[in-house]
Amino acid sequence: MVSKKIVIKNPSGLHLRPTGMLCNEAIKYQSSINIRFKDAMSNAKSVLSVLGACIKSGDEIEFICEGSDEQQALEAMIGLVEAGLGEL
Amino acid sequence: MFKGTSASSGIGIGKAVTVEEVKLVINRNTVADVDAEVERFKGALEQSMKDTEVLAADLATKVGEKEAEILQGHLMLLMDPMLTGEIESAVKSESICSEYAIETVCNMYADTFASMDDELMQQRATDMRDIKTRMQKVLMGVESADIASLPVGSIIVANDLTPSMTAGINPAHVTGIITELGGKTSHSAILARALEIPAVVAVNDFLSQVKDGDFIVMDGTEGVIYINPDPEVIQEYETRGKALLKEKKELEQYIGKPTITRDGLHIELAANIGRPEDVEKVLEYDAEGIGLFRTEFLFMDRNAMPTEGEQFEAYKKVAVALAGKPVIIRTLDIGGDKEIPYMNLKKDENPFLGYRAIRFCLNRQEDVYKPQLRALLRASAFGNIKIMIPLVTCIEEFREAKALIESLKQELDEKGIAYNKDIQVGIMVETAAASLIADIFAREADFFSIGTNDLTQYTMSVDRGNDKVSYLYSTFNPAVLRSIKRIITSAREAGIMVGMCGEAASDPMMIPLLLAFGLNEFSMSASAVLKSRKMITNYSAEELQAVADQAMSFDTTKEVEDYMRAFIAGQA
Repeated sequence: MVSKKIVIKNPSGLHLRPTGMLCNEAIKYQSSINIRFKDAMSNAKSVLSVLGACIKSGDEIEFICEGSDEQQALEAMIGLVEAGLGEL
Repeated sequence: MFKGTSASSGIGIGKAVTVEEVKLVINRNTVADVDAEVERFKGALEQSMKDTEVLAADLATKVGEKEAEILQGHLMLLMDPMLTGEIESAVKSESICSEYAIETVCNMYADTFASMDDELMQQRATDMRDIKTRMQKVLMGVESADIASLPVGSIIVANDLTPSMTAGINPAHVTGIITELGGKTSHSAILARALEIPAVVAVNDFLSQVKDGDFIVMDGTEGVIYINPDPEVIQEYETRGKALLKEKKELEQYIGKPTITRDGLHIELAANIGRPEDVEKVLEYDAEGIGLFRTEFLFMDRNAMPTEGEQFEAYKKVAVALAGKPVIIRTLDIGGDKEIPYMNLKKDENPFLGYRAIRFCLNRQEDVYKPQLRALLRASAFGNIKIMIPLVTCIEEFREAKALIESLKQELDEKGIAYNKDIQVGIMVETAAASLIADIFAREADFFSIGTNDLTQYTMSVDRGNDKVSYLYSTFNPAVLRSIKRIITSAREAGIMVGMCGEAASDPMMIPLLLAFGLNEFSMSASAVLKSRKMITNYSAEELQAVADQAMSFDTTKEVEDYMRAFIAGQA
């Protein structure tokens, strides 16, 4: 299992479009990818699950990946958030 | 007469066509073969996704990529493994039909979204219900209401228009849209504006009052609707509709034209914006720059301070889009009247006279002001950005802000980061104090921009939101007019640019006075730009001097207003 914390920086936070971008990438990996935010877990492969967490710009989240391609999955997630999820 | 929320301007006259979605009756039927039922669901899901893709493509070509996004969002929701997984397991574990499983699962999510304290999230509830109905219709073989083949002169009346429905609208046949639900930012409102169809939304209980074929007259600008009105009303609105169209055509001729008075004075006509995406309208209405870019949006509705990088991207985006035209960005103007939890701002007893704007920023340099100023400097490498300091009352504040900017410039030099070394730094003149010592400020500021809303408020000591005293609030009050004239004169004597970014800058009664006083730049909402260009190009600043002298000779607000009203009427 690998994990990493990161701050959401795109202006609208994890709303539908940025979340969709994240999920579209997440489903490419065999590993499970979860997001921990305020002690609750969301499934990064599900738009609904992530939207339900109501994560805004400036919030810190943690990606937790587990599986055969966990390292690549984690890097991909962090890379997308850092690049601003299509909003920056 | 019915009233609703104005969602898309213009006059619509035509016959009512009520568009009602077939009410689906969803029963909790049990199924014997759950595996076959799951297959049936999967088939319907696939069909729904295909339909949505087609609709999205249609909307993208007809209206634009941006409007199609909402349907792309539906596609994402339909593809969600959690959603489909829950529906499948409901079918399996309870041996229920797909329709009912979809109903319960989607409603559960819709309710969750609806209860969230966030407008954008609440809109997801509408999305959930829309995809729910779409899947159920496929399962039940129910056709969607067909809007595509409405006759010419139809006014659509509906409870709400779903994206699936609006995608089919033919703007040549539909002359108006009326819905019971929705708001200014709802999907149907956005679409109506994009298609330039007049629309009134949030009209309570309208469907029960109207039937197919009723003659409707509606004013999308005022949010007013008449059902089967008297011939006089029809006549009146027909005339008004024609006049509006004529005016619109006429104003379009001013796109691409310079703003020069009859006596050859070049005026800069700019727009005010509150968000980077407002730039679209600025370019559409051909503004010559941005006279006020409010930066508060970056700080509102979030849990932590925006980073320097995030601010940089927002400022850069606007600077690049304006391609060298001036972009005046006002540094943060907040105080105790705004709830921003992470700022730890205490509620001020008297927020407008308290700890706000430049007073707050200079006190919070490390975490608030420096990151913003650095972001502005860095973004200045990508366009013609000017920095504007709000609410200054004494020269020390301005000097301190300028010194801070200079030290940040040095810092950037050391790091080899690009910025515009000649970036202009000016002030928003909006306090009585700044007006009285405008001559002192004019020696050190690169430009002035008069904020008439606050200037009037502070000069008259009146809260215009308070009904009991708001009668005192008028930019035509002799005290306010003298203040404005003084500010402009001080700037012109010192040879610096002076603009105005308050509402008064687009007021037809104020424009002649401002031209006579010598204002260089007028900044207003983008939609007022062309109208103002038309007015300004028809005036001669020299000829207006006599008008201004006369206006300035009165003792009372009423006399000034009456005089200017009469002058305007004589011009038309």
